[in-house]
This record gives sequence, C-alpha cells and structure tokens, in this order.
Amino acid sequence: MSAPEAQLTVALVGNPNTGKSTLFNALTGLRQRVGNYPGVTVARKSGLCDCGDGTKVELVDLPGLYSLSAASPDEQVVIDALGGHLAGDRRPDAVVVVVDATNLLRNLFLASQLSELDLPVVLVLNQADVAAEQGLRIDGELLSRRLGGVPVVLTSAWKGEGIAAVRRALAEALRRRVRMPAVDWPALVAEALADIAAAVQADTGRAPTRADVERLLFDSTTSVGQRLGWAAPGRDAAVRAARDKVRRAGYNPLAAEPLIHYERLRRLLDGVVQGGGDRSAGSAAVDRVLLHRVLGPVVFAAIMLGMFASVFWLAKFPMQALAAGADWLKAVIAPSLDAMPMLQSLVTDGLIGGVGAFLSFLPQILILFLFVSILEDSGYMARAAFIMDRLFSWCGLNGKSFVPMLSGFACAIPGLLSTRTIEDPKARLATAFAVPFMSCSARFPIYALMCAAFIGPLYGPGWESVVMVGMHCVGLLFAVPTAFVLTRLVLKVKPQPFVLELPRYQMPKPRDVLWRMWQNAAEFVSKAGTVIFAITIVVWALSYFPRDVSVAERIKAANPAAAEEVVKAKVQAAYVEQSYMGRFGKAVQPLFDPCGFDWKITVGVLASFPAREVIVSTLGVTYSVGEGAKADSAHLQQAMRDAKWSEGPRAGTPIFSLAAVLALMVFFALCSQCGPTVATLAQETGGWKWAAISFVYMTALAWIVAAVVYQVVIRLA
Amino acid sequence: MTLEIVIVGVIVGFAGGWLLRRWIAAARRRKNGGCAGGCGCSSKIQPKK
Repeated sequence: MSAPEAQLTVALVGNPNTGKSTLFNALTGLRQRVGNYPGVTVARKSGLCDCGDGTKVELVDLPGLYSLSAASPDEQVVIDALGGHLAGDRRPDAVVVVVDATNLLRNLFLASQLSELDLPVVLVLNQADVAAEQGLRIDGELLSRRLGGVPVVLTSAWKGEGIAAVRRALAEALRRRVRMPAVDWPALVAEALADIAAAVQADTGRAPTRADVERLLFDSTTSVGQRLGWAAPGRDAAVRAARDKVRRAGYNPLAAEPLIHYERLRRLLDGVVQGGGDRSAGSAAVDRVLLHRVLGPVVFAAIMLGMFASVFWLAKFPMQALAAGADWLKAVIAPSLDAMPMLQSLVTDGLIGGVGAFLSFLPQILILFLFVSILEDSGYMARAAFIMDRLFSWCGLNGKSFVPMLSGFACAIPGLLSTRTIEDPKARLATAFAVPFMSCSARFPIYALMCAAFIGPLYGPGWESVVMVGMHCVGLLFAVPTAFVLTRLVLKVKPQPFVLELPRYQMPKPRDVLWRMWQNAAEFVSKAGTVIFAITIVVWALSYFPRDVSVAERIKAANPAAAEEVVKAKVQAAYVEQSYMGRFGKAVQPLFDPCGFDWKITVGVLASFPAREVIVSTLGVTYSVGEGAKADSAHLQQAMRDAKWSEGPRAGTPIFSLAAVLALMVFFALCSQCGPTVATLAQETGGWKWAAISFVYMTALAWIVAAVVYQVVIRLA
Repeated sequence: MTLEIVIVGVIVGFAGGWLLRRWIAAARRRKNGGCAGGCGCSSKIQPKK
C-alpha cells in the first residue's frame, strides 16, 4: 500500500519476533501476518501512520534482522532500504527500532549498529508487559538520557499499550532529529576506518558514508565495494592494511564490531535494567515436552491428525447448508431458462455445477486456516520447524530451509520468496526446488473431495483424516530424497548451522485469527468468482460444443423400448463424448491409462496445469453435464461413485476404484500444476533452467508414482 | 443465429478473453521483475543495479 499523502518515510526495523509486525498493524491500522518465520515480511509493507500532531508518515515494515551484516537477500533488502539504495524508494527520514524488552542486551546490538546510519531514531521496547511479568524493571528515561535524548518508549503492541506514546515519540524524533550517539571506536580501529574512507575517496572520487566504511572494514561478504565501484586490487590491499590495524588494537577484525558494540551496551544498560529471574520458565517447561526428541514428533503428528479430523467434522454441516443453497439456486434458475437449453446448461451445469463444487470447500478452508492461525500465533509453528530440523538435517537442509517449506503448506509462492532468508545460494536453490512439493492449500479441495466421496464411505470417517495427513506427507516424503540428491550429489551444499528464535507461548488474539480467516476466505471466494469462474465457462463450452442433435435421434431409434430417462442419459453422455473436450480427453487418455484415469479425469488433470484447484470445478462440469446437473460437492461425489468404464477390459467396473482415487491424489500431491509457482521459481533462481527442470521432474515423478500406486493397489485390492 | 447463441457466445468469449488478457498481463509483470501473482502479495522490492 502506498501512502501518497505522506511526505516523510519512516522505517520500522528490529530483530525477528520482537512484535514488529504487530506494532506496524497498531500504528497503521492495517493487518499483516504475524509469525516466527524469518521470511514473513520479505514483501514491502507500508501504511500511513498518524503521529498525533497532524504529521502523517509512510511507515515501512522491513524484514526482521539481527545485524547490519547482510548474509541473506532479505537482510540485504533492509540494509539497502535504510541506505536509500533501493530503486523507487528514498532514504527514510527516521527509523523506529523495535526491541524485545525481555532481552535488551542482545536486541540493542542492531540499534547500536544503526547509529552509523546517522538517522533520527525512536527506540521502542516492546513486550514490556512480559518483561514486567518476569520481574524486570526498565528505566526508559535513564536509557534515553544515555542515548543522547533518543525517545525511548515502553510498549505492549499485542495489548495495544503505548501506541499513542510511539506516535508522540515519532513526531518528536522527526521534529528534533535526535540521532543515536556514534560508537566510540578504540583509536586504532577509528584510524583503520579513516584509512578506508580515504582510500575509497582516492580510488573512486566519492566520499563513502560512515555505514559503508564500517561494512567494508568489518564484513567479509559485503557488497558495498561493488556498489561504490571500488575495484578489487586496490580495495583488497586497503582493507587488508586496515584490518591489520584492527588486529594491532587486539581485535579479530571480523569479530571486533560486535565486541565493541556489546562493551558499549553493557555500560549503557548498567542500572537501566533491574530484577528478573528465570524469564522463560513456563515456556521452557512446555518445550521440554513439545521439543522432546521422541514426544515432540508424536505430539506434532497428533496435532496434525486432530486438526484435519476437526476440519472434516466441523465443516460437514456448513457444507451441507451450501449444497442445499446451491440446489435451491438451481431449482429457481433452471425453469426460467427452459426455452434456452444451451444457456440453461451453461448456468446450471457450468457455473453452478463447477463454481458451486469449488465453493462448497469454503468451510473446510476457513476451518483449516483457523487452526493454522492458532498454531502460528500461539508460537507452536516455530517449534514445529525445530522438530523438523532434526528430520531434515541429514539431507543437507536445515530448519532454516524448512521454514520456507512450512510456508509452502499454505502456498508455494510465499514459501519460495522466503528462501531469500537462506544465506548459501546452493542451499537456497535446493530449498526452492523442494518447496513446490509441499502440499499447498490448493491441493486441499481434491484431497477433500476424494476423501469425502470414497475414503469416508468405504472405510469410515476416521480414515478421511488419516488419508488427509498422509497426502500432506507424500510431498514431504519425496522432497526429502530429492533434496538429499540435490544437496549432497548435485550442488554439494556445505552443512550450515540453524538458529531459530523460539517465541514465547501466547494466547492467540481472536481478532488477528479471525482477520487471517477472513483474508483467506476472501481470497478463496475471489478466486472462485474470477479465475475459476472464467475457466469453468471455457471448460463448459469445450465440453458442450460441437453438439450434433442427430445423435439424439440415432440413440432414440436404437433404443425404442428404453425408458425416457435412460435414453436421455445416453444422449447426454454421447453429447459430452463428441464435444471438443471429450475428443481431446479421449486422445490423451491412453497416456494416463496406466494411472487409472478415464478421459474425464484426464481432462481435469490437463485443465489443472495452470492452477491445480481447477480440477474440482472441471470434474463438476464434466460429471454434471449429462448427469442431471446437480450443483454441489455431494452430488458430484455421487456422480463420481456411479461412473463406470464404458469400454475395454474394465468395462462395467467403477472408474473411481480405490486404486484410481489414491493414484489421483498422489498425482496431485506431486505434480507441478501451478503456473505462478513455476514463474516464481524462475524469478528466484535467476532463469528458467531450474524452473523447467522442476516442472519436468515433478510432473514425471507424479505420473510414475501415480502409475505405480494404481498398478499395485488394483492388484492387491 | 439465435439470441441464445449470441448470449452464450458473448459469455464464453468474454471469459476466454479475460483469461488470456490476465495471463499476458502476468507475463508482462514478471518480465518487469514483479510478482508472478497468485499469492496476494504486493510487488517485491528490486535492488538497484
């Protein structure tokens, strides 16, 4: 969101899990996803913040980071944004630094580093309520005095406490333009910094900023030299000489910066923070169970199983209500279009049948996101990442790689974008390759349809959730060996340590949880009303035309004694078979025959390559045209249960056997059926090579595994 | 040509055209370094070259 009314820009920065996004929401009135994943704020988020004195500023929420030494692409984004080096973004006029009041020393390191940017600063000590609960007493005024008058505000953004004070402090900082006092570097270190500044000026003719000089001296991987156009031979010699001076001062050049900052911070905080005992006793006690080597994965599996069982159970009644609503709508509309059978078919078979079948999963999607939001906001999802880190470490991917993969369970695109938090480009590529395997929410409707239509009725409702969890694990099962081969044999990724801050457990805020549910519901409904709606019309047209009416006369002549309903059904089936869709599906079907897919399923599979959720509406159209045109998932399920092979060695047997149902779900679990995901993979890997490899690999793998599943199960069953 | 065929033709043509236009726009957006779309996010920040 842009804020055209604002003349001033203020950046919001801080370590991950300091409540930065919650404070951003409180200050701007916007809602944003709150979680523990490092990549949660990779996208640029901004909003208009009223400072209370009439000043309005554009507040930009930057990704969380621990220091100004950029290791990952999203950290680099923050540093570039603060320095005004991003295209289309100007340098901020002030910075609001959010720190965790329960851990001031560690959090203030970033704030201390920010002093080199020479920008007005507001220091927000968030989670002050938790600090107080832990017995910590923080003297904000004393800290402010020691920081040269920088406004210091104690807040609890979660509770909405101190927000007005932040607004006032921001107005004051912009008015008085108070900067953080710069670090008092030891003499030899200061001399080394001056040497680098002089060398840059001499070689490039440009005066570097203090921040640039410090990055050049203290960071071994900084890109500042490139940005300044400071060429390698001269640069390397000057930096080496300057680092020798730092060594003479008694510091390792690459460790000097944190050591000197922490020395300063300890002096600053002396007397500012008092009291406090075991700050995380409660969380630690819970974590002893939830992060236990054996109990942790068991609890994780139980939570997932319980979640999916609840989704089915709770969504049952709203889904029935939606089905009744769709039937009512059809009953109202159909008679008025009796004179126009083609338009009647478009509205009832196409729109109500296709879009209705898709929309009937709205209750399940809503309930799923309710649980996911509760798990994220309570702090459990970060624990899940920690548990999975153990599982993944053997294949060269650590917990940091798993965080994007967890995001991929909602949608692969934010998962791919959050791989920017991974420093090693090879590890990032391996993770990006594995992310599309995660079972995103677009796969949910096909699993839910198959489970409700076949698994539940055949084996009982308990098996629905078991199969659902299983399907969510299928992608993971293939992602792990894929990542193993990539990291160990192809890319040869070096093992990396995984650092994940575990947030304290907290009661999810109902407003945030409901907001997240609303956002997902709105996106789902909007998709149904736009893309699914349009694709359904096209699919309907392809399955309706051409329509040779002489077919009906021939069938009637060939079945003179048959009941009218039987003849009607035969005519409708013949119409669909002679349609463009029928012809195309039949031509391609032999390719999918080893997987047990008939031509109607084949049509659904092919139509789903741009977006996999299209399968449900496509099946809704192909199975409702000629089947009496019922509009909802329940009637689609019945039509699918009644479908039988009409020819070949399987003639008369159900198309949707257990083998075919499992093969279809496995195919959708593994196949690369999402245009935006392939495009994002190309964007994030810097070319189409890896995107093409991923598409071919996933699609071939899906076909092979689906064929194996079908052939094995059909023989066993 | 009946009114029914005209109505259905317009609806199907509009839906197909809209989808085509949407995919072309998404391709252009990606070419310019924007988001591939589909995730509801805003455009990503592009570092200066």
